[in-house]
Parts: sequence; structure tokens; C-alpha cells
Amino acid sequence: MIRLLHVSKVFGEGPARVPALSDVSFTVEKGEFVVLSGGSGAGKTTLLRLLYRDELPSEGEIEVADFEVTELRRSEVPQLRRSIGVVFQDARLLDGRTVFANVAFVLRVLGTPRREVRPRTLASLKAVGLSARAQAYPHQLSQGEAQRVALARALVKSPALLLADEPTGNLDDDMGTEILELLKEIGSRGTTVFLATHQARVATQLKRRTLTLAGGHLLKDEG
Amino acid sequence: MLGFVLAEALRDCRRAGRVGVSAVLLIALSLAALGGFWLFSLNLGRAIDQWRDRVRVVVYLKEEPSATKLGDLLRQIESVGGVQRVRYVSKGEALHSLKHALGAQADVTDQLPRNPLPASVEVTPDADTATPEGNRALVRRLAELPEIDEVQGGAQWVEGLAQFRHLFQLVGLGVGAVLGLAAILTVTTATTLVLHLRRDEMEIMRLVGATESVIRLPRVLQGMAQGLLAATIALGVLEAVYAVAAPRLEPLLPLTLGLQRAIFLSPPQILVLMVSGGILGALGGLLARSGRKPHAR
Repeated sequence: MIRLLHVSKVFGEGPARVPALSDVSFTVEKGEFVVLSGGSGAGKTTLLRLLYRDELPSEGEIEVADFEVTELRRSEVPQLRRSIGVVFQDARLLDGRTVFANVAFVLRVLGTPRREVRPRTLASLKAVGLSARAQAYPHQLSQGEAQRVALARALVKSPALLLADEPTGNLDDDMGTEILELLKEIGSRGTTVFLATHQARVATQLKRRTLTLAGGHLLKDEG
Repeated sequence: MLGFVLAEALRDCRRAGRVGVSAVLLIALSLAALGGFWLFSLNLGRAIDQWRDRVRVVVYLKEEPSATKLGDLLRQIESVGGVQRVRYVSKGEALHSLKHALGAQADVTDQLPRNPLPASVEVTPDADTATPEGNRALVRRLAELPEIDEVQGGAQWVEGLAQFRHLFQLVGLGVGAVLGLAAILTVTTATTLVLHLRRDEMEIMRLVGATESVIRLPRVLQGMAQGLLAATIALGVLEAVYAVAAPRLEPLLPLTLGLQRAIFLSPPQILVLMVSGGILGALGGLLARSGRKPHAR
């Protein structure tokens, strides 16, 4: 599902040159649940952005969901992103739209037939346990609920790969655990999950394969 | 998908608020100015065409030709080239016209010992010759004929007017272009502000795999809707001004421009103005750019 080969990423040039990733190589199989662990500035977010082609690597090759990411033309990037769901530390919900509208927005943007939008949106909300909050607005949600809506939004298009960038970073332990349980459940249904976190307890709690980044280098690949 | 794009465009129109209203007014102003120049130029053009049709070159003859020679002379004049038609005016007819023109004082001509007016031929140039150069060349050719005493007339003044009309059109286009550019910039600013408000939505759209056309189309449609609305306003203003001013100007038109009445823009010209509004607005929407949120590493 994911293959990185000698990937490096440098921001800026000359004296302002900042290496973010150095010679990172690993493979994630289809259906695997992998934790990307590392402190602040380790390069986790950069790595995720390379995976959904928000950035291009300075060196190396990246393959995601059968797409040669480094070879993709700009016009082909949307095709890659349709097979990836992304959640961030902040839920990034759209104000002024209900929970239902936030999730349905994805399907409408992608031109899903109208008759499919409602059942798929409701199914996605049910999967994250938020059917009862469908008509609520983002400001009426707790942080945990908002993050679950973000998960529903990422999952509604049935992606092969789910990228989660610090999804529990803003949550207390109980809410964080709820989200992790949801992610495990999503993984158990066959979706490949790649979760980046700076919280050591998350990796411990999940007991999954863990890649550890430090200063842009891949230090460990265990589990 | 079309429903989604239209709904987003409508949402953007509402979000544009006061800046959107300014954009609509500025496009309306530029189109009204352009339409106003066009309207005036249209009527001036009609007057010029009418005057151009009336251009005559008068060929004065040394002697009044006999009935047998007249036919040959007229054929000779027609064969110099650039002549649409000719009309012979005998000495008697010229005197009759003079009396008619003098009206009550016509009996003055009775004091004359003999008819002093020469016989003449009124020459109407064809369309290709009704230019200053063509007219001068025709006068030269006619003056070379042995039976001709003098040649008078020309289209210079009409051409002067035509040049004024051309200049007027250029000024109109220039003013329209400047106002049009300002309108595009205003629509661009309005749309950019909307894009700024919609930055989160666009980020999400890009993230989930929306194509650039789906992301951009609502902006273009929003601009186009503003442009069409502005064109409607501009046409409404022009129509109102025309309805008020035309009846008041009507008595003056025959005396000044030689026209019976001023005309309004034709349906195809109205369509051109509407389409221009749509294009101006769409261009503004197309040129709008949104900033991207910085990412953490």
C-alpha cells in the first residue's frame, strides 16, 4: 500500500536549507495498521504530506495505493487523493454546515450520485457513533465528537488508506482512547491505517507495528 | 455535480457581500459607459451614412449641350469610373430651382437680361469613390473632359465627421477598456475575499480529491452571475436614459444630425453587452487566487 525508497526532503536553499527527512525507506502492506512515532519536528507531518502529494520529495521514490506519487502529473493528484482519507489533529470541520453536511460535502465534491449521498453519509456517521448528532453544527460538538466527524468524513469515500496526523493530540485520555478504538475498528475492516503521533502512550496502547522518526531519520521499525 | 457547483456559486455570491455589490456596480458602470458611447456612435454612424448618400459632385458645362450631344456627354461622364448615376440639370431647370429657393424674392431673376446659370450634371459617386481620395480622383478625371467648365463638390466634410466618429469610438473603447479592467480587478478582489473565507473548504476539497475545475468553477460562475447582473443593470440604465432623452431630443435631430429619430441598441447588440458583462465577471472569478494555510512540519 505504501512504499518509500531512500526518500529525503529538504525545505529551503543555501543557508536557509532545512532537512526534514533523510533517506527514509519502508513498506506498509495492504490492511496493515502502522504507527509513525516521533517527537515534535521529527518529520512525521512532512512524511504524511509526501504520501498525499501535498509536497514532493527532494530525493527518492514513493508509491501509494498503486500510484507512483513522484511521477504523478498535477492533474492526476486528485485520483491519488480519492483513495486516501486524511484526519488531522484539529478536526477542520466547516463552520456553518451541519455534521451531516460536513460529511456529505466530500461525496458531493466528488460527484457521487445524489441518491447515494444520504445513505453513505448516514452509514459513515453510524460507523463513528454519531448518527444522533447529524444535525448538530461544529460549534455544538465536543472535541472528541468533532474528531469523530473528521473520521467519518475521511471514511465516507471508502478510502484504501487512512492517514491520521496526531488525531488524539487535542483530546483528553478518554476521548483519545475512543478515537484509537475507532481507528482499530476501521483497520480491522481492511482499511490500511497510518497514524502519526508524538504521544508514546498511543504506540504502547495500540500494540501495532511502530516506525520511529527522529530528526528526519527512521530510527526504528518494530512490532 | 452541476447542482453542487451551482449551489456553491450561489453561496459565494451571498458571501461576497458589499465587495460583491461594488463589483456589480463597477461592471455596470463600465458597461453603461461603453453602451452609451456605442449608442451615440450608432446614431452618428446612421447620420454619416445618410450624408454620405447625399454627396454629389456638380459638373458645370461650358455650354448647354444640344439634345443630340447630351446623351454622348452623359455616357462620357459615366465612363470616367466611380460614378453611380448622373442627372442632367439644364440652364432652365437651374433657374427654376433658384426661383424656388428664393421664394417670395423670386421675381428678382426677372430683372436679369438672360439666364446666367450654367447647365450642369449632378454626379453621384459610387460607394467605393465616396472617400476623400476617391472623390478627389473623380473630380480630377471629370475636370479633364473638354466640355467641362468647372467641377465642384466633395465628401471631405462628411469624411471629417466620419473621422470624428472613429475617434469617438476609440475614446469609447478606451474608456470602456479602463473601466472594464477596473471591473475585472474589483471582481477579482471580491472573489479573492470569498476564496479567503472559503479557504478551509477548498483545502478539504483538494484533500479529498476534487479536481481543480470543480474547485474553480463556482468562482467563475459567481463572477459570471455578477457580470450578467451588472449588464442587466447597465442596460436598464441605458434604456431609462434613452426613454427619457430620446423624445426630448427628437425635434433637434432632423436639424443637427438629419435623423428623424434616435435608435436604441438592437437585440444582437444587447446580447453582445450582456455577454461582455458575463465575460468580465467570469474573468475576475478566474483570476482570483486564494492563499494556502501554512502547514506544520
